[in-house]
Amino acid sequence: MNILLRITRMAYLYRTRLILAYLSFFIAIGFSLLIPWLFGESIDRLVVITNTDIVPLNPANSELLILASLLLAASIMRGFFDFARTYTTDSLSQLVSYDFRNQIYDKLQHVSFAYHDKEHTGNLMSKATADVEAIRRYVNMGLIRSLEVVVRTIAVTSMMIWINWELALISLVFVPFLVVRSTLVMNRLRRMWLHVQEVNGELVTVLQENLVGIHVVKAFGSENFERRKYDKKAQELRGEYYLSERLQGTNSAWMSLYFTFALGLIVWFGGWEIIRGDLTAGEMTTFLLYLNQLTFPIRSAAQIINSFSRAISSGRRIFDVLDSSSPVEERPDARPMGRSRGHVRFENASFAYDSRSPTLKGVDIDAAPGQVTAILGAPGSGKSTIVNLLPRFYDVTGGRVTIDGEDIREFTLESLRRNVGIVQQDIFLFDATIRDNIAYGVSNASEEDIINAAKIAQLHDQIMSFAHGYDTWVGERGSTLSGGQRQRLSIARTVLVDPPILILDDSTSSVDVETERQIHQAMVNVMKGRTTFVIAHRLSTVREADQILVLRDGQIVEEGNHVELMATRGIYRDIYELQLRPQEEVLLDASLAGGDGGDN
Amino acid sequence: MRGVGGGFGGMMGGMRGLHSGGMNSPTMDNLSDDNALGAVYNNKVVLRLISYMGPFRSDVIKSLVAVFIYTVANASIPGLIMLAINNGIKVGEPWSFNLFQWNILTIPANAGDFWSWHPLHFFGLGFLALTLVHFASNFFQFVFMARVGQSILYALRMEMFSHLQDMSPSFFHRTATGRIMSRSQSDVLQLQETFEMLVLALADVLTLAFIVIFMLIVDWQLALVCLSIVPVLFFILGYWQRFARRSFMRIRRAIAMVNGEYNQNITGVRVVQSLNRQEENLEHFKELNQEHLDANLQASRFSGGLQPMVEFLIGVGMGFGIVLVGGIMAKGGALEWGVLVAFALWIQRFFEPIRHLTMQYGVFQRSMAAGVRIFELMDLQPEVNDKKDAIEMPPVRGEVRFEDVSFHYVEGVEVLQNINLQIQPGENVALVGSTGAGKSTLVTLIHRFADVTEGRITIDGYDLRDVRRESVVGQMSMVLQEPYLFSGNVMDNIRYCYDDASDEDVINAAKAVGAHDFIMALEDGYETVLAERGVNLSVGQRQLISFARAIVGDPRIIVLDEATANIDTHTEILIQEALSHVLEGRTSIVIAHRLSTIRSADKIVVLDKGRIVEVGRHEELLRQGGVYSRLYAINYGLSYENGAEPEGGSLIPAPADND
Repeated sequence: MNILLRITRMAYLYRTRLILAYLSFFIAIGFSLLIPWLFGESIDRLVVITNTDIVPLNPANSELLILASLLLAASIMRGFFDFARTYTTDSLSQLVSYDFRNQIYDKLQHVSFAYHDKEHTGNLMSKATADVEAIRRYVNMGLIRSLEVVVRTIAVTSMMIWINWELALISLVFVPFLVVRSTLVMNRLRRMWLHVQEVNGELVTVLQENLVGIHVVKAFGSENFERRKYDKKAQELRGEYYLSERLQGTNSAWMSLYFTFALGLIVWFGGWEIIRGDLTAGEMTTFLLYLNQLTFPIRSAAQIINSFSRAISSGRRIFDVLDSSSPVEERPDARPMGRSRGHVRFENASFAYDSRSPTLKGVDIDAAPGQVTAILGAPGSGKSTIVNLLPRFYDVTGGRVTIDGEDIREFTLESLRRNVGIVQQDIFLFDATIRDNIAYGVSNASEEDIINAAKIAQLHDQIMSFAHGYDTWVGERGSTLSGGQRQRLSIARTVLVDPPILILDDSTSSVDVETERQIHQAMVNVMKGRTTFVIAHRLSTVREADQILVLRDGQIVEEGNHVELMATRGIYRDIYELQLRPQEEVLLDASLAGGDGGDN
Repeated sequence: MRGVGGGFGGMMGGMRGLHSGGMNSPTMDNLSDDNALGAVYNNKVVLRLISYMGPFRSDVIKSLVAVFIYTVANASIPGLIMLAINNGIKVGEPWSFNLFQWNILTIPANAGDFWSWHPLHFFGLGFLALTLVHFASNFFQFVFMARVGQSILYALRMEMFSHLQDMSPSFFHRTATGRIMSRSQSDVLQLQETFEMLVLALADVLTLAFIVIFMLIVDWQLALVCLSIVPVLFFILGYWQRFARRSFMRIRRAIAMVNGEYNQNITGVRVVQSLNRQEENLEHFKELNQEHLDANLQASRFSGGLQPMVEFLIGVGMGFGIVLVGGIMAKGGALEWGVLVAFALWIQRFFEPIRHLTMQYGVFQRSMAAGVRIFELMDLQPEVNDKKDAIEMPPVRGEVRFEDVSFHYVEGVEVLQNINLQIQPGENVALVGSTGAGKSTLVTLIHRFADVTEGRITIDGYDLRDVRRESVVGQMSMVLQEPYLFSGNVMDNIRYCYDDASDEDVINAAKAVGAHDFIMALEDGYETVLAERGVNLSVGQRQLISFARAIVGDPRIIVLDEATANIDTHTEILIQEALSHVLEGRTSIVIAHRLSTIRSADKIVVLDKGRIVEVGRHEELLRQGGVYSRLYAINYGLSYENGAEPEGGSLIPAPADND
């Protein structure tokens, strides 16, 4: 209930429209009540005419002309106010969903990584699309239509009772059952639809996996296996779909059955009353037309009731997002950080995604300005966590992180992140040109700055070799860059921001020698004069770091420079030797080949 | 189903917008633009769609009959009311039933007792009967329509999927997955909707026709007066349609932009936050959202504007048509009032189908476009086809021969040239060469990802093109650089298409490649369900699973395409040890970056620019001092020296820089 109230409050921001919508449907209902009455009156007059021989349209009979004009006028007014109601309702519901979209969008780009780690993209997308749509429907149907339906039903029913209560009772007695029945059916349909969607989702998964993994399919010659897999799901889906459509059809047929039947009852019993003289022909006609007017409200009742329950569940999902408190919050008294010198310290820093299994346990790091710190460890040992703490993508759960001696939580997020640049492992390119992608963090960057950044990242020459140069479209719908190019683009993006502190998450993917060299050069360029943290998978990038941290299970187990660590004969040395051995073999072979290997 | 189909279509529509419409997005595939909207009616598409109804002919006919009965029943309700009023509501007199000029039945007078026979009861019972017919035909119309619609949907889906299985990898390389997805999902759904819509549109048209016919039969003069306004409506509708269509297109574009931006913001959130782009992004998003809002408001004005129009026409019909003209005609009993009531009901029923039909206009247009896209994809010829007389491959021994093989994707750009290579059963061959030398192409030709453009490839003496592809490929396997896992549990992933492999076979395969231990350490062992493509496993673990998958079918020939390139050192060493056992006794062709693998190969084949330049064992080739020895030095020698050489640009600045 609270959820509906909250949605209503959002709609209340546009109360003028809301009031106009109510007002216009009230007036529209008034006019639509007039029409059957006017027509009934006309029929009564016409019955008289058919029975006598009065020539119509003489002055004594100008009544008919008046009735006809009134009918036309009422229809026009009704049409106009119906339009007003539709438009105010539509615009109100669109405005509310507009607000919701903006809010969700903004919230999502501000919540911390921890939130995004938990939530699937598909799930968040469906909140932004399907759930917002459910809210829009609720504003339209639940907030306005429902009232209209109630008012209209009461008004029409009263009119019918007023004309002839017995006939009204006979023709309307089934309506409550009908509404209850179709509401129940609607609920069942919803569950069936959810199931259909689930099966459809499974079918899409099979299809998508098949397409993305088509090389595996081809390599195993498993096309028929895949066909069977898809066939099974497609058949299941066909069955489920059919059942839900049939149910829907049945429900609709029952509705029609009632209305046809009620028309028959009115003619049958109403006719009898006319014969007995308790009802006039015009009244019966009015009655028939009123029943017609009930068709829409009764048919849509179930949908309206349904829109409430959908709005509650969708609203809950949306407010879950909007209300989620990000674990990384800016303090109210946070102040901006100037350009930092780059002295970074982790003091007994701990972090846990959930309370049970901490991923970092009491880590101490001291990185002097300009120093390079390499972080090593098996996957899952906590390397990424350490570097994610620095720009406050996550907050420490124990201890603290300081920059130039001050806790980073003292600063505004914006200024902190301006000081900490990060080149991430999975490089994300936006649907835009190369230029826009490089300038993503600095919107007012000059062309010169952008080109300069690309040069530092060793990417300029390759960009110029594209037909559209810096205007080449990349991202989802653009041409794809190679892994090495993406990585350097990401470096250029960071260079442009010029942060004093830098995090490099080195990619593992194997690239050819030339690319390797270029990335290497780019990294060397960009690290100059910055305090740098490198997550390295290649030992060659680690060997000359000022300090090397070896992580295991969230703890620093070895620390020192290359020479020191080699001397301790610990994990570092093991890893080093594992990778070094083949390279020593190369030396051996090189001598075998006559030592001319290095010429090229 | 509207809800489901529509909702899904909407989302896919959004995605579709994301994939196309880019200004300079290159379309390498030969498929047409996804967003193009074509004609309202495309004869080819409709005819082809109708051909899908063939197998369900009897259901189609049943549904058409139901539609026919339903529309007649529907349109005759006011007629029955008219007959009841004109003939049933009479007092005192003896009654005779006249249908037009024929006398059907005569009944003596009823004094006013409801429970004794009165002509009105005859019509009351008639109404009951009509109600039942109406209900039954309505119900069956839905049932048969749904049945046929779903069967067609199913048939289209399967045909599409099946067709995709026949397409070669190069097609998938050229064509974005998203585009194929949207064709086989939302476009197919759209076509199924088209079918159901055709039935409903037919019902609408029939309803209109019957109403007009009934009105004309009952009183053609009054009918003409009342219907005289209809042409005006059609004229206005035609004019209105153009604007409405534009505004609906605008909505579609706008929602695609909004959803695209959403999607991008969620997937790129890490970059957004680290580069502080939130403010600007929100501004940008608000613009897109505003456009969406405006588009919707415009559409609402358009669709809402029809309402006063229809009401006006109903008002004219009822007020001036029935009341005034009817009044003039009715003088002296020339027209009974039942006729007037029936006309009023008919006029009210007349506009519903029209409104319905106008709403379907856009759907029609989308459907035709969807049909064009689907059939376009279905008509693409697969590049690799089994011959009609292709035979089953007998059990493979493992001898592979390339005889003068050349291959190109594009005429004139040879990827492989005059390849002659003989691989004995059980031999272990390493392929070496720089990027673009044609290594991957060469190994995929063995799996017949594409057909050679010249020469031939034989396995145990059988030309690959003479045997059924599945029967030979099923006896080989391949491990790719990127491990690829399907959803499901570990067991299913290893077993994959080898349905007859027992659980024990699967476990043995896992043990053989050294994957068993880590699998057992997972939460549910072999029953552990993998998250989206196994992201809860490390790359190395995923690759171990795909290794196990590659040997569970006991293939005679194994291809490893840079299979260990992306793996961390620990896992790689694990795999290397396992591999030497696994490859024993099988023909293996390995593209490797790891020295130890190459060195132990029975035969090293050096490729350069699509040609074989050297073949031999490691030591032999090194002594020759040719391409191999140079490549070898570059790939394995220089990278080492690079790290040591200061002038090569050391990654880590010398400590001295800091002080």
